[in-house]
Amino acid sequence: MRRTLRKWSPFIAAAAVFALAPALSAQLTQYDLEPRSGMESHIGNITGHAKDAKADYRRFCVGCHGELGDGNGENFPWLDPKPRDFQLGIFKCRSTPTGTLPTDEDLSNTLARGLDRSNMPQWSNLTKQQRADLVAWVKHFSPRWVSEKPGTPIQIPAEPEVTPERIKAGRDVFAKVQCWKCHGVEGKADGPSAATLTDDQGRPILAFNFTEGARPKCGSTDQDLYKIFMTGLDGTPMPSFADNIKPDEAWDLVFYLKALEPQKSKEKAIAKQLGLKPVDPNAPPPSGQ
Amino acid sequence: MKSRYRRILSAVLSTVVLIGGGALILGQRVNAAGEGKITGSVKLNGAAPHMKGIDMSKDPYCAKAHATDPGHLETVVAGANGGLENVVLYISDGLSGSALTDVPTAVPVFDQKNCVYTPHVLAMDIGQKFKVVTSDQTAHNIHPNPNPMTGNIPWNQSQPPGAPPVEKSWKAAEVIPVQCNIHPWMHGWFVVVKGPYATTDSSGAYTINNVPPGSYTVTAWQEEYGTQTQKVTVAGGQSATADFTFKAK
Amino acid sequence: MGMIKQSRVGPKFSFATSVVTAALMLTILMLSASQRANALPAFARKYGLRCSACHESWPMLNYFGQKFKDNGYQLMNDRDAPIWQNPGYWPVTFRITPIWHRVSTGKVDIDTYSGGVLSGSAIQRVTSSGFDLSGLDFHTGGTLEKNFSFYVLPSSDPTASFHFETVMARLDNLFGSSWLNVKLGKFELDNLLSEKRILTLTANGGIYQLYHFIPAGDGNIFGQMGDNQLGVEVLGHSYDDRTRYSAALLSSNDGQVELSYGNAYTGFVTFSQAFDTGKAGVQRIGAYAMVGEAPTTWLTTGGALFTGANGTGPAAIGNKSFSREGFVGQFYFGQHADLTVVTQHGQDSAWFGQGYGDLIDGIVTNNNTTGTVLPAGSQAPTWNGVLFEPHYVYSPQLIFIGRYETIRMSQQADGPGSAVPSASNLGNISTYTIGYRYNPFMTSRAGFAWHNEYNWLHSDGTGPNGANINTSELLLGFDFDF
Repeated sequence: MRRTLRKWSPFIAAAAVFALAPALSAQLTQYDLEPRSGMESHIGNITGHAKDAKADYRRFCVGCHGELGDGNGENFPWLDPKPRDFQLGIFKCRSTPTGTLPTDEDLSNTLARGLDRSNMPQWSNLTKQQRADLVAWVKHFSPRWVSEKPGTPIQIPAEPEVTPERIKAGRDVFAKVQCWKCHGVEGKADGPSAATLTDDQGRPILAFNFTEGARPKCGSTDQDLYKIFMTGLDGTPMPSFADNIKPDEAWDLVFYLKALEPQKSKEKAIAKQLGLKPVDPNAPPPSGQ
Repeated sequence: MKSRYRRILSAVLSTVVLIGGGALILGQRVNAAGEGKITGSVKLNGAAPHMKGIDMSKDPYCAKAHATDPGHLETVVAGANGGLENVVLYISDGLSGSALTDVPTAVPVFDQKNCVYTPHVLAMDIGQKFKVVTSDQTAHNIHPNPNPMTGNIPWNQSQPPGAPPVEKSWKAAEVIPVQCNIHPWMHGWFVVVKGPYATTDSSGAYTINNVPPGSYTVTAWQEEYGTQTQKVTVAGGQSATADFTFKAK
Repeated sequence: MGMIKQSRVGPKFSFATSVVTAALMLTILMLSASQRANALPAFARKYGLRCSACHESWPMLNYFGQKFKDNGYQLMNDRDAPIWQNPGYWPVTFRITPIWHRVSTGKVDIDTYSGGVLSGSAIQRVTSSGFDLSGLDFHTGGTLEKNFSFYVLPSSDPTASFHFETVMARLDNLFGSSWLNVKLGKFELDNLLSEKRILTLTANGGIYQLYHFIPAGDGNIFGQMGDNQLGVEVLGHSYDDRTRYSAALLSSNDGQVELSYGNAYTGFVTFSQAFDTGKAGVQRIGAYAMVGEAPTTWLTTGGALFTGANGTGPAAIGNKSFSREGFVGQFYFGQHADLTVVTQHGQDSAWFGQGYGDLIDGIVTNNNTTGTVLPAGSQAPTWNGVLFEPHYVYSPQLIFIGRYETIRMSQQADGPGSAVPSASNLGNISTYTIGYRYNPFMTSRAGFAWHNEYNWLHSDGTGPNGANINTSELLLGFDFDF
């Protein structure tokens, strides 16, 4: 039984109640952050040092993410989606299970890829070293990187060959786990629950629309899609399906999702040939597995 | 051997209650020698506020399940006699030693049934395992939203029909809101405390078991009305009483 | 000739007073300014990024800003189109630069008086100082829609006489490829070290001599890499902007609008490749070449037919060729220091060397008419130049700038066989500039810089009676945009 945080008085918990949606805005100050400025990151054979990113953070990041990394930079009021609060240590794009910290590589990838349909640009032309340093600096804002280790990345089996059967099976998975509740039966983000979605801070958030040709925030490769629904996007309504979709089925779903996207793909061609119809939201739910 | 007798009796009682599925004392340890308990009731003074109905028409499954019994918010659930349900009582001061650190082995269950959380408030000890299950034929996502600064980390897992239970525990004392993003009306609480606790039943009654003799501060938490505290003294093997009254707003 | 002719020669100038003044003003400024800091405010406002994200120091781009520009003023996050902006957003930035400067020029022909009566003239050093204004720029640019971008820059001189500095439309990411973008209009050439984004403001230090150099007496109106030109450009880059190229076809008229009865085109191509060198940063090396023709004859002013036109023009007349080519390197030494190096080898046709071709102001000074022959001993003027520009970036708000440029003639238009051969160093230039820019605050709403700069330029043989000229300038001022 790990009871490491015994000193927390239940009074604190009680106090939290008065805010119905607990205010997650962090309260750490420069003084709190200082001890962690020796934070490192390890990406491949590159070691990032938080302190070395100080100038780059100030140059590139501070306007949105703020001096204290709390996402409260001067542009906070004008941005949507809002900048990430690094003090919370909660990240959308991970290779690790829901509720765990991402790996350093996950963070570096997010930096390079940017977050589509947000103000977060692609920092692909920084050097790998700069990105590693920035990752270490991002980590130093949250005490979680001291008390916890990153999660273990999920295993992604080798991508199988796309077959019509797999795409059909992917459609069944889409129906069974009810992706359409938010993403809509055609992937147009018009499911019955789409309109009321909010993020962990209670701000409205959109479900991903597969039909616009937009890049998913956490990457558009087949492996990225696999990761997105098997790890969930923490901080958003997108849950992890790791307990409910088997690895092999997950590939089926990836193929079906690609068939929903407008981009030319093998999956799309096969789905067209099959004359695949959208799932029926009124069909009786498939019996439990 | 009075105490042994009492111990056996308590054990039998506990077993009976566990089997009976009484959510209030689920998760309490088998009584140890010389331990007493704190009992009492929590009442609402004044008329219970009107609980708004919930429009579940976005999900036909949920709407059908509530065809005859329309869903409504459960922020304040008061019985006919004014007994307040879903109030968590716990010892906020005075505990020490194993009474403070022992973690119950029972695994309380949080069910998603007919598109509402049953129970609406689930209390548990730090580190105690609890289970989230679904009885529904519609997909839910179970999304507790603690403040990560406490050490509790938010997570978000899908539970489509037939999904296996999710078993978890929490690291720190905190009142954690739980929501389902698919069904925005689904809102409940995980109340994580340190040491023995109880939750009031529909009549507002509660019993905190496994309390060693001593002087304590008991705190009652209600999601709308906040907290109240009382000092009680528990004598060895005895039952102390602490009644609470929340004023209706 | 523009630049060189006006070169003023500097006195051994007493720094002390100026430095003290500068230091004093800076202190006051620092005390009064808030410490929150941030660039083209129109873009900064649009994206919520601070100036420093795209600018090493405004207006000079860093590699991230270069990528943004290369993408057609797009961050490429599918939120670039104006439809995503707050309706109140208007992509306009004003830039204005009020200054005080002190210019000292050696060897100026001035009037002399004797007993209150004009008696003649004398050549001597002239020093003048005063407050000044650099004019006003209205920058507006951005996207009209995803992958459709534009930039318009009406610019005025200090008397509010406007011209279009830049008017340009771009089609970006054609066929979904970052390798294919097209620009049409009047735009700055794809110089890695951009003169339009120069960090210095003085008359001689506020331009890159290398980008404007024309030998003494040369009549080539074109070949000015630093000026914005009219044409079409195809450009592209890799996803991470490490590899870049551009190829432009330009009208050889130095960006003058309205066709002036001439048909001459110039090509300008660049290529560069950047390397990831870890802690040191991104190092970029590249090359450029500008090869073209410019007119030396005008049908409307008694000139002969163009070469090739109607197939009748004598070979000696019409359009003449010129070329500029060189290497560029941008080297970073960690997050604080960097150095840009540009080299140039240039050559103009011997006809330009003899002064034919000048119509830049609409007045023909040397028309190349039928039957004209080059004087004996004429040769194509040829030169080599190099530019070093180091920066020390103390913080995104404070940058120290240095520059040294030198251009040496390797072959004069009037060669050894001429009646009067030119001195081998005629028209050589050396110049250095030092300065700093301090942004007391930096937000994503406006930019403001306190600017202090000193420039010294030496030019060989271009003064009265073939004297060398030394010109110096001290400048203090504000550079602000909003």
